Amino acid sequence: MKAINLSGLDKVCYSEQLKNGLEVFMIPYDNKKNYFISFATRFGSDILEWTKNHKSFKPPLGVAHFLEHKMFEQEDGIDPFTFFSESGTDANASTSFDNTQYICSGTKNFNENLKFLLRFVNNPYYTEQNVEKEKGIIAEEIKMYEDIPDFKLEMHLRENIYKNSPRRLDIAGTVSEIKKITKDDLYSCYESFYIPNNMFILIVGNFDPDMAVSIIKNELDYKERKELPKVKEIKEIKTVNVKEETIKANIETPKIAIGLKVPTKDIDIEDLELDLYLNMLTTILFGSSSEFRENARTDKLLNSIYLEWESIPDTKVFYLMASTQKPDLLIDKIKEELKNINISESTFNRIKKVWIANEVKMIDSIDATVSNVFDDIIRYGTIVPKKLDIIRKMKVSILEDLIKNINFDNLSIVKMLKKK
Amino acid sequence: MHYIKKDLAAYNLHLIKTKKFKTISVRIVFHTPIKKEEITSRNILTDLLLQSSKKYKSRRELTIKSEDLYAADISTSNRRLGNYIFTSFSLQTLSDEYTEKGNLEATLEFLSEIIFNPDITNKEFNFEKLGIVKNNATVALNSLKEDATGYSLIRMTEAYDKNSPVSYRMIGYDKDLEAITTETIYNTYKKMLNNDYVDIFVVGNFETKEMTELIKKHFKFRMLKKKKEEYILPAKKPRKRRLIAKETIDNTQSKLAIACSLNKLTDYERHYALILANIIFGGGTDSKLFKEVREKNSLCYTIRSSYNKLDNLLLITAGIDKKNFEKATDLITKNLNNMKKGKFTKKDIDMAKEFYKTSAEEVEEREDRIINEYLLREILKTEELKERVEKINKVTKQEIVKACKKINMDTIFLLEGVKDESN
Repeated sequence: MKAINLSGLDKVCYSEQLKNGLEVFMIPYDNKKNYFISFATRFGSDILEWTKNHKSFKPPLGVAHFLEHKMFEQEDGIDPFTFFSESGTDANASTSFDNTQYICSGTKNFNENLKFLLRFVNNPYYTEQNVEKEKGIIAEEIKMYEDIPDFKLEMHLRENIYKNSPRRLDIAGTVSEIKKITKDDLYSCYESFYIPNNMFILIVGNFDPDMAVSIIKNELDYKERKELPKVKEIKEIKTVNVKEETIKANIETPKIAIGLKVPTKDIDIEDLELDLYLNMLTTILFGSSSEFRENARTDKLLNSIYLEWESIPDTKVFYLMASTQKPDLLIDKIKEELKNINISESTFNRIKKVWIANEVKMIDSIDATVSNVFDDIIRYGTIVPKKLDIIRKMKVSILEDLIKNINFDNLSIVKMLKKK
Repeated sequence: MHYIKKDLAAYNLHLIKTKKFKTISVRIVFHTPIKKEEITSRNILTDLLLQSSKKYKSRRELTIKSEDLYAADISTSNRRLGNYIFTSFSLQTLSDEYTEKGNLEATLEFLSEIIFNPDITNKEFNFEKLGIVKNNATVALNSLKEDATGYSLIRMTEAYDKNSPVSYRMIGYDKDLEAITTETIYNTYKKMLNNDYVDIFVVGNFETKEMTELIKKHFKFRMLKKKKEEYILPAKKPRKRRLIAKETIDNTQSKLAIACSLNKLTDYERHYALILANIIFGGGTDSKLFKEVREKNSLCYTIRSSYNKLDNLLLITAGIDKKNFEKATDLITKNLNNMKKGKFTKKDIDMAKEFYKTSAEEVEEREDRIINEYLLREILKTEELKERVEKINKVTKQEIVKACKKINMDTIFLLEGVKDESN
C-alpha cells in the first residue's frame, strides 16, 4: 500500500493496485463518523461502438445508464437498497459520459457494506422481464429532463459544438432507443467494461484502510485481468459544427448558450495545468468578481450565468449559459470580452488565493472530497496530490501565451426564445 | 461537540465548539411572524444588501473583498418555518491558523458592514441597485413554471388552503414587487433590525470568551423581547371528500403533488412516531412508495413523501405519465391505507430507525446541519439529538399505526403534461 501526502491539506491518500489491475484509493479521516464508498468503471455514454474477439458491438443509445439501473437487480433476490437501508446507509448510482459509479455512504456497518457493494456490482442479473420493467421508469427519467429548458438548451449547444463526439448525445439515450435494449446488450457491456483493470474504488472518511484492502482483496482478487475491447475511435472536428441556432421553448425570459471550442493538440501544456489555466482565463473574464459581470448586471443584461469547461481527447470546450432579457446584446458583449482580453496580475493572484482557500475548505467535507478526487481520477487517470503547489506555481505569462493559441471566433451560439 | 448558549439580551448567542472543521461558520438568523405581503420585500432586501454597502459600492467590490478574505463565503436566505419567516445571513471562512492572524475578525467586520452599513442615503436605498434586484426578481417570478415540480407544489398548496402560510409563495408576488421603492425597502430593513427576533450561531474551533467578545463587538442589536406566537401552524380540519385539482402545462411529463393534513398529533407523534412513519412510507431510500409505485409498477422515476412537522403536513410528489394518473393515485392511496392498517414489518421499522440514526450521526459532520439542528431545537424546544435518537429507538409499531391514522389525504393535484410526445 502506497501512502501519498495530499500537500497542504493534512491528509494522506493510500493507494493499492490489485494484480488484476483494479485500483483502490483511500483517504481515511480520524475525526469523522461518516464514510463514502464509490465503486466505478470507466464506462459511460461516450462508448458507442467496440470490437471484441473480432465481433463488433453497437448497442442502442443509453445502454450504460440502463445497465446502471439494472445493476440493482440481484439473482438471490436481496435488494441492494434494502440491504443498505438495514444499517441506515444511503446507496445510489450515477452514469456520466465517461464513467458509471455505484456509491454508498453512512456511519455504520462499513465492512459489510463495502463487501456488499463489491458483490452486487460483481453479480449482474438481467432477465427479459426485469429489463422490460425498467423501460417505463427510464422513459419517465428521460422525459423529466426533456421538460427542463436549461437541459434542452445545453443539448442543443452540444449538438452544435460537436459533429461526431458522443458528447452531443443525452447520457440516458432516447425513449425510442432504450425501448430496443435487451438483456444481451447489457451482458455484452458488462462483460466488456466491468472488468477489474477498467475499474477503481474510492473510499473517504471513517474507516480502516488495512481492513478495507483486505476485504477488497478477498472479494475481488480472484477476478482476472481481461483485455479491454477496442473502442471505436471517434474523431472530432476542430471547428464547431453549427455556429448559430435559435430555438423556441416554454420560457418567459430568453436564454443563451455559448460554446468555445479549443483544439488542444498544438498546445504544449500538461493536461491538468491546461485545465487550470483555461479555468483561470474564464474565471477572470466571466467569474463572479469580473468586470464583465458587474457591467452586465448594471445594464440589466444578465439574470443568471453558469460556466463550465469540458474535456474530450484533443479538445476542450467552454460552456457559458445565461438567462437574459436582451440576448443579442449579451452575446455581443461576450464576444467583445473574448476579443479584448487583459489579464491583471493582481486579479490572477487573487483567484489563485481563492482556489487554494477553497481546496482547504473542501477537504473538511467528505462529500466534496469524494467528488473532487473522483473527478481527478477520471480526468487525469489518478489522484493529484500536489494540486495546491501546482496552483501556487501558476504564472500570468503562461496564460498570456496560451491566449495567443486560442481562436476565440470558434464559437457556437444558441438562443432560446419564448414559444408563441 | 460542545454547546454553549448565551443570552445577550437582544439576542441569543449559540456557540458550538468542534475541532472537525478548518472553518468557522456564522449564521445570523432573524425571524418574525410571516405575512404574505412582506415576503417579496424580504427577498428584495437580502438581495439588495449583497449588491453594495456604504463602503463597498458595487457587487464586484463586495466580491473582491470576500475573495481577499481567503474566499470568505457570504450568502443570505429567506425561508418559512411554520408561522414564521426566517432571514439568514451565513458566513463561512477559514480559521486564522490556515490564513493569517486577524482574518476572522476582518471577515466578521465585513459581514457586519453588509448588515449594518448598507448603501442608504436619506432613508432610501440605492435606486440603481434596487432596479437590478427588482429586475432579477421579475425574471425569477416569470420563470416559475420552468421548475415543474416546484410549481406543482405551489399550485397544490394553494388548492389545499389558500389562506394558510403553507401556500405562501416564498419566491414572492408580482403585485408586491411592483410596489417596492427605495423608501419602502428602507422600512423593511428597519423593521427587520428593530422587530425581528435574532439568534446568532457560531460553529468551529474557537475560544468561547474571545468569540463572544468578537460577536458582541460587531453585532449590536436593540430589540425588545415580546411574547411569541406559536411556531407550529394549526392543523387543518379534514375535508369530507378529498379535493382533486388539475392544471395543464406544455411538458411531456406530468407532476403529481398530494397534500395530507395531519390532525391532532401529540408532541410525541410529531417528533417521533410520524418521523418513522414517513421514512417507511415514502421518505427513505427503500420506502413503500419507491418499491410499489416505481419498482413494481414502473410508473415513475421519482416518488417520495416528505413530512413537515411545523406545518402539520405530509406531502407526496411523483413525476408520472398523465395516462397513469389514476393508477398512481390509487397505488399511493392503497399504500397509505396499508400504513394505517399496520401492513409493514418490524424490519421496516428497524430500517427506519437506522435511517434516522445515521442522519442524526451525520449532523455533526456538516456545519449547516449543526446550525439547523440547534435552530430547530431553539424554536421547537425539543430534546437533545442524543435523547431523540434514544426515544426514536423505543417507538413501537402500535404508536406508528396510531400516528398514521391521523394522516388524511386532502388534496390531489396534477400538473398535466399535454405536450405531444411524438414531437
